[in-house]
Amino acid sequence: MTELLVKNACVIDPLNRILMEVMDIPVRDGRIVESVSAGADIIDAKGCLTLPGGIDSHSHVCGTKVNFGRYMSPEDMRAGRTARRGKMHVTSGYYVPTTYGNSYRYSAMGYTTVLEGAMAPLEARHTHEEFTATPHQDMLANTLFDGNWAIMEAVRAKDVKKAAAIVAWTLSAVKGYSIKLTNPGGTEAWGWGEDVSSIHDAVPNFNVTPAEIITTMIEANELLHLPHSVHLHCNNLGKPGNYRTTLETFDLVPDTNNGRQTLYATHVQFHAYGGTTWRDISSKAEEIARAVNAKPQIVMDMGQIMFGRTMTMTADGPMEFNLYCLHHNKWSNHDVELETGSGIIPVLYSKKSLVNCVMWAIGLELALLTKNPFQCLLETDNPNGAPFVKYPEIIGLLMSKRYRDEECATLVDGTEQRTAICALDREMDWNEIAIMTRAGQAKALGIAAEGKGHFSKGAEADIAIYPIRCRDVDPATEYRKVIEAFRKTMYTIKRGRVVAREGDIIVEGANSTFWVNPVVPDDLNVANDPEFVKKFEEYYTVRMGNYPVQDVYLPRGKCIRTKAAL
Amino acid sequence: MRVILETKERKKPFLPIEAETIIPSNFLKGPELTVYEGNKERLLSDLFTIVVEGTAVSPDKVEVVLKGDTARIKRVGEYMATGTIRIQGDIGMHCGNFMSGGVIEIGGNADAWLGREMLGGSIICHGNAGHYCASGYRGEKHGMRGGRVEVMGNAGDFCSEYLTGGEVHIHGNCGDMAGVEMKGGQLIIEGDATRPCGNMKDGMCMIFGTVHRILPTFEKIDTKKLPDRNVTVTVYKGDVANRGKGTLMIQKPHNEGDQHPANTLPGPATT
Repeated sequence: MTELLVKNACVIDPLNRILMEVMDIPVRDGRIVESVSAGADIIDAKGCLTLPGGIDSHSHVCGTKVNFGRYMSPEDMRAGRTARRGKMHVTSGYYVPTTYGNSYRYSAMGYTTVLEGAMAPLEARHTHEEFTATPHQDMLANTLFDGNWAIMEAVRAKDVKKAAAIVAWTLSAVKGYSIKLTNPGGTEAWGWGEDVSSIHDAVPNFNVTPAEIITTMIEANELLHLPHSVHLHCNNLGKPGNYRTTLETFDLVPDTNNGRQTLYATHVQFHAYGGTTWRDISSKAEEIARAVNAKPQIVMDMGQIMFGRTMTMTADGPMEFNLYCLHHNKWSNHDVELETGSGIIPVLYSKKSLVNCVMWAIGLELALLTKNPFQCLLETDNPNGAPFVKYPEIIGLLMSKRYRDEECATLVDGTEQRTAICALDREMDWNEIAIMTRAGQAKALGIAAEGKGHFSKGAEADIAIYPIRCRDVDPATEYRKVIEAFRKTMYTIKRGRVVAREGDIIVEGANSTFWVNPVVPDDLNVANDPEFVKKFEEYYTVRMGNYPVQDVYLPRGKCIRTKAAL
Repeated sequence: MRVILETKERKKPFLPIEAETIIPSNFLKGPELTVYEGNKERLLSDLFTIVVEGTAVSPDKVEVVLKGDTARIKRVGEYMATGTIRIQGDIGMHCGNFMSGGVIEIGGNADAWLGREMLGGSIICHGNAGHYCASGYRGEKHGMRGGRVEVMGNAGDFCSEYLTGGEVHIHGNCGDMAGVEMKGGQLIIEGDATRPCGNMKDGMCMIFGTVHRILPTFEKIDTKKLPDRNVTVTVYKGDVANRGKGTLMIQKPHNEGDQHPANTLPGPATT
């Protein structure tokens, strides 16, 4: 039995409606408890800001495409080099760091749980191996279903139960957590050199539309009672005028779940562009935010970009090819048989580019215009918008109008005319930031029940203590202090164990991987469906028996069982 | 001020020495510097006999002389901004990385990556240079951006890859793929080369020796007489496969049949 007492913590816990109360947090065996004995280890938080461990609800840190980003950028490996020290492994890289680099930097910022934004089911083993090498964060994997042939056939047959059964089998086979749709239909069309340009375009050879895929998958997701909703990267990412597609997509979403949203729309900044070409691109964040404000069934995240070099990587192959045509830089594109694709290209977001300035403004506008912070979460689609180490700066921008104005003054002329960023004077408070960085994520991902994102009794003791006293600092003017504080915790505590102290990692770490096993009645289980098995053996280059990820790939896997209503 | 560093005999003479601290400005405060020998940090005086002659008030008046078995000393002159380094013998890899000013003179041969991503200053190598002379780092979009590299002997493969500015002058032959991905600057090769300037976007390359296997994506546009050399060169534009605006001048293209795609398939260098 190990016991720990965090004393004098100034706690913000939005899910329990605790706002800046100075209190003690007793921890026993990795869980928060009522009280501990006198012999417990004591950490004095000295009245500093104490939050539940941070949760990133959409980040690309592990898996084949991240690793291909590493292959492609030997030059990035010259940045961020740290030598082996104590328990810390060697790290290198800035926008596509080594797995340990990712893990340590997240830990230093107080993040203890990360959702990998896109895992191709066929390449799940690689993702899980990298999860194991990201030892300080509990990991979850969004599983890609956007171009899945079996799913599209079920959609064409209007057989929601079949689609749900396929999802259930695949999730439990590849140890995934939730359904991810990336440019649904478009990634399959790209296999034929085409793309879809609206949610009503038919996918070649399948004769289904993105709209049908999205609505069927939302229904299947709810039938399976998955903890998270459908996680959607809308069609037409990064095309001027794409906000119409985004709004049309939002209109498809029914409100069928009382506990959480029914659609998680990710990196919406990339989907909120007005105009017709890159020359007249403008912000449509107001329209998007208005739709989200009116639809409690939707949660989005910012997809904020920050200026500097980074790497874009997504399952959205056609979009990456379009980016290549703009940049003429090195690029890669990849097809995952029968499932999805991916593309990777490095980018430089520059303050001299009006397009980039408008993109920067849109992300912030979305956050500031969304009334309920539970509906707009903070992330950069790491590393697509910016590496996650930029989160503290985004927090500063959201908390301080003055900082935004100073930044706006350095942008290229015209940004002000095309966006509303300068007119927004909302300044987020501490509670809203806590929601946008952990509580909102815990709720949206459905892991609050697993003890994430709050300090209730029995919750996992993931605690981040930041070196700042909320009552002594005015974030509107002293935003530099806020940024510094969020860069490095005093202590990051993971499951009751101090893992990072003032940015230094002090233990080896042992994370868990959460995965979902929806229980489906035997007669609906696709493994017993001769037609499904026949097609699997016929089309895939792997045998169905070899497809599931063995338990050995998840040394500390944590299975969440759900009972499907089929 | 002149600092003479003469190598002492080492127990393991093949262990590389990482000597990015050997730049003139570091010697203003005296020669108490450290370098890595393998993975061990060593005092400069453990590895070299140090003689300091005279004094200097600014780094541009400092001359560092390296003598002895210097072939395995790497990264000499990295980030050097001013002053002089003279190397009597051979030098190891990455000499003059990111150099922005001053002079490096190498009496012997230089290993690979000589003057990589150089910004200014000049490097003169009296012997041969290895692969990737005056090039960029792997994956980086810009290579050498300014300054001058002159090699009296031959250079290896990928000479001036990603050249973006400055001048590179090779008096001997080049290996395969010289000037590939060039974006600016000037590359002059007095000797032979194979498959030069693939994917060239801008800049100029002149080759006065025999060129084998000219890529089919270079368009012959003109012949031109160069009065200062009294030779006639064939002028090519390219690389047209990538919006190329580069200029490639060749005195002796091997033969016209060379331009046939069947003869230009990738393969090992013929030199």
